[in-house]
Amino acid sequence: MKDRISMRQAGIISLLIIFSNKILLLPSLMHEYIKADAMFAIIMLFAIEFLAVPIFLKLKRTFPQERLYDILKRYITVVGAKLLYIASLVFMIFKALLVFSVVYVYLKEQIYQNEFVWIALISFLPIMNHAVMSGIKPTARTMELFFGVLIAGFVFCLIISFFTPISTPYFFVSSAKDIFASIYKYAFTFGDSLFLYLIIDKIDYKKSEEKKFYFYVAFGMFLVVALFFLFYCKYQLTSFMHNNALADLLVFSVHFNAIGRLDIVAMLTIMLSTLFQMELFCYGFCESFISIFPPLNKKYAIILFDLMFLILYYIFIGKYEIMVKSTITWLPVLGVIMGYIFPLACYIFTFLKRRGNNEKSD
Amino acid sequence: MSYFNLDKKIEEYKMLLNDSIDFAHRFYEKGDQKIAFIFLKSITSQELLSEAVFTPLQFYNGKLSIENLQNKILKCSDIKEIEEDEIINEILGGKIILLTNFSDKVIAIDLLKFPTRQPTEPPTSPVIQGPREGFVEDLQTNITLIRRRLKTKNLVLKSFQIGSESQTKIAVTYLKDIANDEIVRKVIKKLKKIKIDGIIDSYYILSFLEERPNSLFKQIGNAEKPDIIASKMLEGKIAIIVDNSPIVLTVPFAIIEDLQNSNDYYTNHHYSSVIRVIRLLGLLIAILAPGFYLSLQIFHYNILPLNFLVTIADTTLGLPFTPFIEIAFIFLLFQILYEVSLRLPSYLGLATSVVGALILGDTGVKAGLISPPGVIIVALAKIALYTVPEQASQITVLQIVFLILGGSLGIMGIMAGMVYVVNYLNKLDSYGTPYLAPYSPRIPKDLKDAIITNSIIEMDELPKTYSPKKEKRK
Repeated sequence: MKDRISMRQAGIISLLIIFSNKILLLPSLMHEYIKADAMFAIIMLFAIEFLAVPIFLKLKRTFPQERLYDILKRYITVVGAKLLYIASLVFMIFKALLVFSVVYVYLKEQIYQNEFVWIALISFLPIMNHAVMSGIKPTARTMELFFGVLIAGFVFCLIISFFTPISTPYFFVSSAKDIFASIYKYAFTFGDSLFLYLIIDKIDYKKSEEKKFYFYVAFGMFLVVALFFLFYCKYQLTSFMHNNALADLLVFSVHFNAIGRLDIVAMLTIMLSTLFQMELFCYGFCESFISIFPPLNKKYAIILFDLMFLILYYIFIGKYEIMVKSTITWLPVLGVIMGYIFPLACYIFTFLKRRGNNEKSD
Repeated sequence: MSYFNLDKKIEEYKMLLNDSIDFAHRFYEKGDQKIAFIFLKSITSQELLSEAVFTPLQFYNGKLSIENLQNKILKCSDIKEIEEDEIINEILGGKIILLTNFSDKVIAIDLLKFPTRQPTEPPTSPVIQGPREGFVEDLQTNITLIRRRLKTKNLVLKSFQIGSESQTKIAVTYLKDIANDEIVRKVIKKLKKIKIDGIIDSYYILSFLEERPNSLFKQIGNAEKPDIIASKMLEGKIAIIVDNSPIVLTVPFAIIEDLQNSNDYYTNHHYSSVIRVIRLLGLLIAILAPGFYLSLQIFHYNILPLNFLVTIADTTLGLPFTPFIEIAFIFLLFQILYEVSLRLPSYLGLATSVVGALILGDTGVKAGLISPPGVIIVALAKIALYTVPEQASQITVLQIVFLILGGSLGIMGIMAGMVYVVNYLNKLDSYGTPYLAPYSPRIPKDLKDAIITNSIIEMDELPKTYSPKKEKRK
């Protein structure tokens, strides 16, 4: 059984990974810094991220069957490729940690009411490990199956926010400098398209399905932008006080108590998308690990991931503020390298390959 | 010249068959020519023996020879020449063996007869409208029932004999212009590899055919009705009929088959779609309801609507057990009642219902041992289980798993369990058919006959899920 996925499944994966870190804490964090002008920052960040998609497709067309590691090896030597993969490994585990820490805090506040870290770890780690052991094909198929439910939950939360009084937030209250500074500051929460590059050889590319792929990416970005906008419309100047954007959209809705506790919809949507994102980050980590140390297999990669996750948990998530602070101090550097510079480098590789081909034909 | 010492031979076979009380032999003599008939009384038709063998022999005036016996005298459709070493097996298979003192050839006549029942409506697949015939335990009858529905030259029937002691006949049947050759080859190869002493029912060969025999989930389809099997064969599936079993197996299998029902095709497709949605909801309720209720009660009572929370608090106040023990106890009670009702004679069924529902349930609630919401939730899950009866055994195991997950990890445990199970199912395949197709992977054209079903006119293409040879139905 070949471990390959369709373009549709790749599109769904990119949509799900776009949600990571952006649907709970980020809107309030960005609001604290640049108020509702965070909308401009996020649109610009998505615009940059969206550019990674055509680059990815071009890379896939240029190197149809090759692994990313082999492509990198050819242009930046083995050492360069390994260094980039180490960076990717760190990127993936910190992404997983960030998602976990944010969701952990949300669940602790909303439903578990007390410390439940072992429950969270027992729920997440085996699922992530199982996804890696199964391969990308069953994992992508699982996401494909739950995709409709997840999107329905997300859209439901957005629609319900219309049932409360909302008004357009005040824009242009922050300076352009602050907006651009925030683009760098929150870079780590973006750049998730790196995952696609890591599984480039596992995608069955069809030119006819490119549009579908673009659609899923654009749709994911649209949903996040819509969430930011509706969230700011609903909470206006107090947005920074609401740490769980998607869930908080449902609160104070006219229908909230009439139908029942609607926040269960947001809860299930958040849990489901988090589980999938964690699976993908764990998979990305293990793919990077196996490329760096080819003699070692998935099992070693999973053991290392679990150990690192648990150790880093005590350093970061145990002190939640450190995690949040790290995402705006040193992690943006990693975010910029992996999310923005790396796709640009890939674009250059496609040119080099074409030039190489032209020289050969001459 | 005497070819066989008939008396000696008969004695020899009698001993080989352990001097069985149903062992029988007859002689027919005409001049110096003598024929011995050896058979088992219990499985051969005495009337046919008289009509098709002895009567024609008495009226025949010419010289007896093996050729004459085969072509002119005996009035049977299934007469064949066999080797001497096949005699015992043929006798055991219900044949009458003819030995003569004028030839060294041996003839076997098929006069097999044993008690069979009529094709009646199977208890597991009743229909409101549509055909009511069901398979029986006789292989030939079952083949006839399929032939009657598929009168095509493309119908292939291949026969095997499996089981060193039972010598059970197994027929593999498919439509050669539709069924995937690779899958046919794979099935036959697996059947030929089976080494077992006896096959009592088709379920005996199930594990041999499954790609992952240790999996909880079934990977082979089954049906008790010829109309279902015929329609499955028209989709490119291969049917495996086992003698002595009314259950016919089919491969490849996808879980969507168990959400489909023959009733769906005999009623309006809009109605069928609604029923299938309800069936799917039933499946989800059966698996998740007890675990979900438990997780709400233990961990997440704050997300329950206030009125519901008050009701639960009222009814669970003063219970001596923890919520988990309470639900597990009710669950166990239902399972015991179910097992008992299966095994008790029907005239005791009413008594079981009274004891189970009234005495144990009602008195349990009044005594303050169990709560009414707990009883309702478990009863709902247990009833919902039978919206998809073919999956009942798997769902029961999953109910227990999700009960433990909900009770120990809360909603997050349930969600994680769901993702794990679906991921596992996505790894499973039955002869190359993805288990959750056409939803995962999504096969758009096959969605016409999935949860939301279209009319038969629109289902003009064969489902790609089962990798058929051709695309169009016509």
